[in-house]
Amino acid sequence: MASQIHVNLSPAELAYLHASLSLTPPIRPDGRSPDQYRPLSAETGILPGTNGSARICFADGTEAIVGVKAEVEKTGRRWDDDTIFLEGGGDDEEGGDKEKGSTQQGGNKEWVELTVEIPGQRDDDSATVFLAQMLSEALLADGGFVERLKINRGWHWKLYLDILLISPPLSYPLPLLSLTTHLALLSTRLPRLKSEGDEDPFFDDDWAAAPYLYPRDKKARPPVTLLVMAVGNNIIFDPAKEELAVADVVLAVSVADVADRKGKGVEDEDMDVDGRKLKLLSIRTVDPPSRLTPPGVPNASNTAYGHASAGATQQKMPEARAVESEAVEGVWKAPRGGAKLAVMGALVQKVLQKGGVADEVLDALEAVDLS
Amino acid sequence: MPLDTSTYSLALLRVDGRRWNELRRLHAQIRTQAAADGSSYLEMGHTKVMCVVTGPSEPGPRRGGGIGGGAGGQSKDAEVVVNIVIAGFSSVDRKRRGRGDKRTQEMQSTVANALAASLHTHLFPHSQINVSLHVLSQDGSLLAALINAATLACVDAGIPMTDYVAACTAGSTSTYAANDESADPLLDLNHQEEQELPSLTVATLGDSDRVVVLVCESRVQISRLEGMLAVGVDGCKQVRELLDRVVREKGQRMILEGTVEKGTGLNDLD
Amino acid sequence: MPREAEPSLNEKQFVIQALQENLRLDGRELEQYRPLELTLGDQYGVADATLGKTRVLAKASAELTVPYTDRPLDGIFTIATELSPMTSPAFELNRPTETEVLLSRLLEKTVRRSNALDTESLCLIAGQKCWSVRVDVHVLSHDGNLIDAACFAVVSALRHFKKPDTSMEGGVLTVYTAAEREPVPLSWLHSPFCVTWSFYGEQGEIAVLDATWLEEQVRVGSCTISLNRHGEICQISKLGGTPVEAVALLQCSAVSLTKVKEFSTYLDEKLAEDAKRRNKGGLLAELSAENDR
Repeated sequence: MASQIHVNLSPAELAYLHASLSLTPPIRPDGRSPDQYRPLSAETGILPGTNGSARICFADGTEAIVGVKAEVEKTGRRWDDDTIFLEGGGDDEEGGDKEKGSTQQGGNKEWVELTVEIPGQRDDDSATVFLAQMLSEALLADGGFVERLKINRGWHWKLYLDILLISPPLSYPLPLLSLTTHLALLSTRLPRLKSEGDEDPFFDDDWAAAPYLYPRDKKARPPVTLLVMAVGNNIIFDPAKEELAVADVVLAVSVADVADRKGKGVEDEDMDVDGRKLKLLSIRTVDPPSRLTPPGVPNASNTAYGHASAGATQQKMPEARAVESEAVEGVWKAPRGGAKLAVMGALVQKVLQKGGVADEVLDALEAVDLS
Repeated sequence: MPLDTSTYSLALLRVDGRRWNELRRLHAQIRTQAAADGSSYLEMGHTKVMCVVTGPSEPGPRRGGGIGGGAGGQSKDAEVVVNIVIAGFSSVDRKRRGRGDKRTQEMQSTVANALAASLHTHLFPHSQINVSLHVLSQDGSLLAALINAATLACVDAGIPMTDYVAACTAGSTSTYAANDESADPLLDLNHQEEQELPSLTVATLGDSDRVVVLVCESRVQISRLEGMLAVGVDGCKQVRELLDRVVREKGQRMILEGTVEKGTGLNDLD
Repeated sequence: MPREAEPSLNEKQFVIQALQENLRLDGRELEQYRPLELTLGDQYGVADATLGKTRVLAKASAELTVPYTDRPLDGIFTIATELSPMTSPAFELNRPTETEVLLSRLLEKTVRRSNALDTESLCLIAGQKCWSVRVDVHVLSHDGNLIDAACFAVVSALRHFKKPDTSMEGGVLTVYTAAEREPVPLSWLHSPFCVTWSFYGEQGEIAVLDATWLEEQVRVGSCTISLNRHGEICQISKLGGTPVEAVALLQCSAVSLTKVKEFSTYLDEKLAEDAKRRNKGGLLAELSAENDR
């Protein structure tokens, strides 16, 4: 899926960018270090009419607003009384969709509805749908999320997440939308349950008493999706659109803190960071716009310089192909093929690292005052 | 669901405690977003709207469900393309509206045509002015809020225009059937009042009595129209003052901060 | 997207200048309609309205369905407008243009939202069975002022329409064919009509009724006012365009009322005429035949 942001850069500019990003350490156009995020301003609780809301502005002016609305909904089928309710028992016992068997997960997924609105784009545009899919995938990959929405055996909360990109899409909006969603979920509160057991639920009118969906004293936090790219062997976080235009590979990596989940076989992927347990939820490759950039023409075959004979122009096609297949130093050529395994590994490692970027981002979002 | 407004005749106070001719709190900001050519944020009571303007620019490939207005698509004028996104969380009960929703399309076309009437579109031939509006919260007077926000954002974008297009709503305490003569006109309706009482949205150009937009969607006696229109036009003038103040304050602040040089024409800002 | 050819600069200039001298190309007064003709079909619910060269056909129909779950006590009433390429090359099928959206919104607001048709009366069994009344609007030829013509056609079609009679006995719903029982008219509450004003001049100071297609293309703004003959405004929409003095709009609404009253009388006459035509030797003849026996 191409991240449709079109960048008008000449092959020479692309080659220059690519070269400076391949240096060790890489030199980024805006002078950031490879794992430095752009500054952002964030606020929560901006919309009193929602259960949770957040707004984030990146320094480049892109801005997003997320609102969360919750509705009480009847769970498809009443639980059998003899079903043993497993506390935190994971996905397998969720949803009460006994008949459907293997599709039980599906019942759960319907509890969250996520929509992305990007100005000037149709809501059934493939890029928009893909964005929404990536964001909801990250949420649902963590089985603990839908678990939070359960009220009792017969009822559950249905959560509607509406994600609005306010600014024109200047850079690939995924990280912005993900961080805003994270913050909105952090600030989400659901009315306090007054009923007990499996009776029809009724709630406390007192909004001040409403508990957070993600209790502050617990460690667990909603997932964040980070955009990471690689140029050569360099790994670069939060790429700007110019940087994306020369990326060899772009990944959307979703991580979440799952500290309070009674762990079951998650140790292998876990990294214990200051008590924070980062868990890798999903990885998606994003088709970088670099693949669509026009290649540069080396001097050797540039007729304007008189190096190539008239005969070579006649046989343009095979010539052009040869140019594309062999790399000439300093001449831009769109990346072909996939990412190296080692780079992918390093990439994931770097995200989950103790004190790494994910950790830093979560810390920063944690510091946002929830109002 | 009829709402009990019988108390109005007793204390002459409306459901939210206002008098008949009072506006709700109008709060606005301009230049809220760095990336856009022009942007604004506007609250009319609990109705909250954000607007981002890009352009005038070269018309790109026609995307999305925006409806263009202005000058019948003649390319010697700039085309105003308006896109309205009503957020799912904006109303009390979550309701999702697709882009194809006719009401939204009608509002898009109304805002586009209203702006096209006051912007000097002939100065930007073969170009396009993109206005994207986001509705974050709805509590009545939605169209009015959208028009006001779009006006502010166009001011921020520095697009030459004749004057502010300011809008507000007006209503009447009578229902359409009741023929009582004691009915009072009301200014700036909230959602509750809009549901129950006849109302209209008026937008006027600048300080004049000239009406750019007049939309009435409820049944009302023709004799009520004059009163409602008069109150609405008067409300528009108040709104215009408020919008003007927002722009001036922002201008003053920008001069103080040194963002812009103080020009000779800006003396009246002090 | 194909576009309608625009009038030439000379043509535009000519029309505007003439209007400034209170003259119209077809010799009408500024506030005069073209002759309005209504033909009611042999079938109930078919109305063909012509306004000069503008011609709109509306057909009402009804079928039994299940009411919407959120409104179990209301029947369903829809107005479908589709502008086909037959009318103008600028219209494409399945791709609503701005004109089409605005037209259907206007009809919706004028007829449906103003409760001209009592939708509660369409419900037969709460939450289970109701009538779904649908009006299809076909624009056969477009020479300006589509809105007024379409609205007149829709209202005429609905007033003329008769749905099959039904009865409920012991929980059994019976729908009678036209042969068994005479069909019944819809429960109609009031008849709203649209009056569209076009504005010309720098300040929009010239207000013209029933603009032709050429006149529509050079106007600077328009305002549609929907009223019924009781003087109730059902809808007003002046969606942008050159600003017009508020007082002028008030005058427009007053003139609109007289026009609407004319429409109303004309429609009543036509309906009465049609009823008489149908009744010739109809029920009376039947009754007299019985008496003879």
